[in-house]
Amino acid sequence: MKKSMTILMTAILTAGLLTGCVTIAQDETASPKNQNQTATEESADTQTKADTQSQEESQNDDAKNNSPSYTIGIGQFAEHGSLDNCREGFLAGLAEEGIEDGKNLTVIFENAQADGGTASQIATNFAAKEVDLICGIATPMAQSAYSVAMKSQIPVIFTAVTDPVAAGLANEDKTAAGEITGTSDKLPVEKQLEMIREILPKAQTIGIMYTTSEVNSESAIAEYKEAAPDFGFTIVETGISSSADIPLAADTLLEKVDCITNLTDNTVVASLPVILDKAGKKNIPVFGSEIEQVRMGCLAAMGLDYIDLGKQTGRMAASILKGEKKASEMNFEVIEEAAFYGNQKAAENLGITFPDSLIANANELFTEIPQ
Amino acid sequence: MITILLGILEEGLVYAIMALGVYITYKILDFPDLSVDSTFPMGAAITAVAIISGMPPVLTLPLAFLAGALAGCATGLIHVKLQVRDLLSGIIVMTGLYSINLRIAGKANLHIFNQETIFDNDFLNRFLPDILRPYQVLLVLIAIILFCKVLLDLYLKTRSGFLLRAVGDNETLVTSLAKDKGRVKILGLAIANGFAALAGCVYCQQKGFFEISMGTGTIVIGLANVIIGTQLFKRLPMVKATSAVIFGSILYKACVSFALSLDRIRIGSVIITFPVIASDLKLITSILFLVILVAGNHQGRRAKGSA
Repeated sequence: MKKSMTILMTAILTAGLLTGCVTIAQDETASPKNQNQTATEESADTQTKADTQSQEESQNDDAKNNSPSYTIGIGQFAEHGSLDNCREGFLAGLAEEGIEDGKNLTVIFENAQADGGTASQIATNFAAKEVDLICGIATPMAQSAYSVAMKSQIPVIFTAVTDPVAAGLANEDKTAAGEITGTSDKLPVEKQLEMIREILPKAQTIGIMYTTSEVNSESAIAEYKEAAPDFGFTIVETGISSSADIPLAADTLLEKVDCITNLTDNTVVASLPVILDKAGKKNIPVFGSEIEQVRMGCLAAMGLDYIDLGKQTGRMAASILKGEKKASEMNFEVIEEAAFYGNQKAAENLGITFPDSLIANANELFTEIPQ
Repeated sequence: MITILLGILEEGLVYAIMALGVYITYKILDFPDLSVDSTFPMGAAITAVAIISGMPPVLTLPLAFLAGALAGCATGLIHVKLQVRDLLSGIIVMTGLYSINLRIAGKANLHIFNQETIFDNDFLNRFLPDILRPYQVLLVLIAIILFCKVLLDLYLKTRSGFLLRAVGDNETLVTSLAKDKGRVKILGLAIANGFAALAGCVYCQQKGFFEISMGTGTIVIGLANVIIGTQLFKRLPMVKATSAVIFGSILYKACVSFALSLDRIRIGSVIITFPVIASDLKLITSILFLVILVAGNHQGRRAKGSA
């Protein structure tokens, strides 16, 4: 009995392991069109772009199908609203360019659950499945994808990376560091400060909480510190190392500041309700940095719409997939304009009214705070 | 398929270096040492900084090992000399090192994408035949892991190595031999954390960047590697425990890789789609471990029964 169970279990396991591999083997044989495509892409390294395109066209004719199908791998670093929006926007952006999930696009989506080791393994798996393009959402995922793609020549597109230059994903002059490009979610710091000044004319200190392990946050803080004096603010920052530190850090920070502004710091944003609750009790406004945070109850934000950011990334990805441009020829892009988002319920709770000038230009105003 | 296997081997072998260290603390010394969670990224931080400042990549290996050993000494000293409980002394060092790692690296994420590493340098590029090129990383890793394993095996056979093993099994014996068991423990912890930092060093060079959070969960992976390896291979007389740990480490990564590719399995023209979403990854991985461990246990009992 025991013997048979052991044999059964090991058999299941090995069978499982094998099928995991076999899937790929059959993927390759079952769809010769895909295989051709990868072959084309490999040859693209040595041949000129024009050659590749003509080859692709002839292949399409052979396949009697005018729209080639693509397989892409999307790796997301953590579960979190903004990053989810990036992914949604990314797929929407691809769809705008005629590459739709389910029709001519197969999406392999993986989430690293904030684990660096898993992130790199996800990237390795994408390379093994010979996807046509890897999309890395958030810095560590983008770096893992890049490190794999350097060897396999699969183009990488990133999004939600605040500082691609510091992360080594782009050169100092903003040109691509390799077959990699994407979009940056750099915060419109000055516009945010300007908005805070408009809403809170008397405020002097702004508190910022950030995770010491997030390099994006560090560069954002540096930028805030540089710009704050121009608007008559001083920045007080508190570094935390994990979400467990947030309640205590929030208590300390709230003693020292007139208002709080958030970055796109993953750990802090994930624990936003805790901060909002504590700040609410002390009647201290909390500003967000993008739409999701305002939806959750932050007073206001001059920020990015991650869906838009994702769409922009998706359009870039489409032109790489279609072979119109190579990733290495495209500079990374930044969303230039910032839009105003306000939460009127939060304003009401704090006894603040938004200046009319902001309301008039608001991109979206929320009237409730989800519980 | 070959790429997947290659990926599993590469990932597994890097963590195997660290698992050798965890094997010393957990299996030999019976010391749950949490400090590896921070010595692993410490090795990576030191490596990134050293390589950026122009140090030859090969030299970062001993450098990282030494730094890790130093941190291990700290854990040992806190435990032995200040008489802090084993688990807690590991936690203390792990927590403190987090800040030290940030100091070493200067920031939370440091990349060495365009630098020479042990996996990609002039020497290798010149002397490695083209056929072996795809296996470049794997070959370097195998060389490193073999070096570590053989060295550790040899060490465990020396006088000092026997004492190390004795401390875990029977502390009284060591005391009755008029040896200081504290010193032996410190030595063991130093070696273990040296391996962890060495793994971090190799990992950093393989991936091309250091990230402060990369160490989170290292000890969990290490323990899983050690337990899977020793459980599965304990009945095979030819396989040394150190080799078992290395195999365990590869098996662990194979599980993760399998869990990652589980959502769609195609048999012939039939595609089986599992209702698995990306966030189920950890659950699937843990179930796979359970299956392996249970299978290992049954193996063990059967052998006992027939003996």
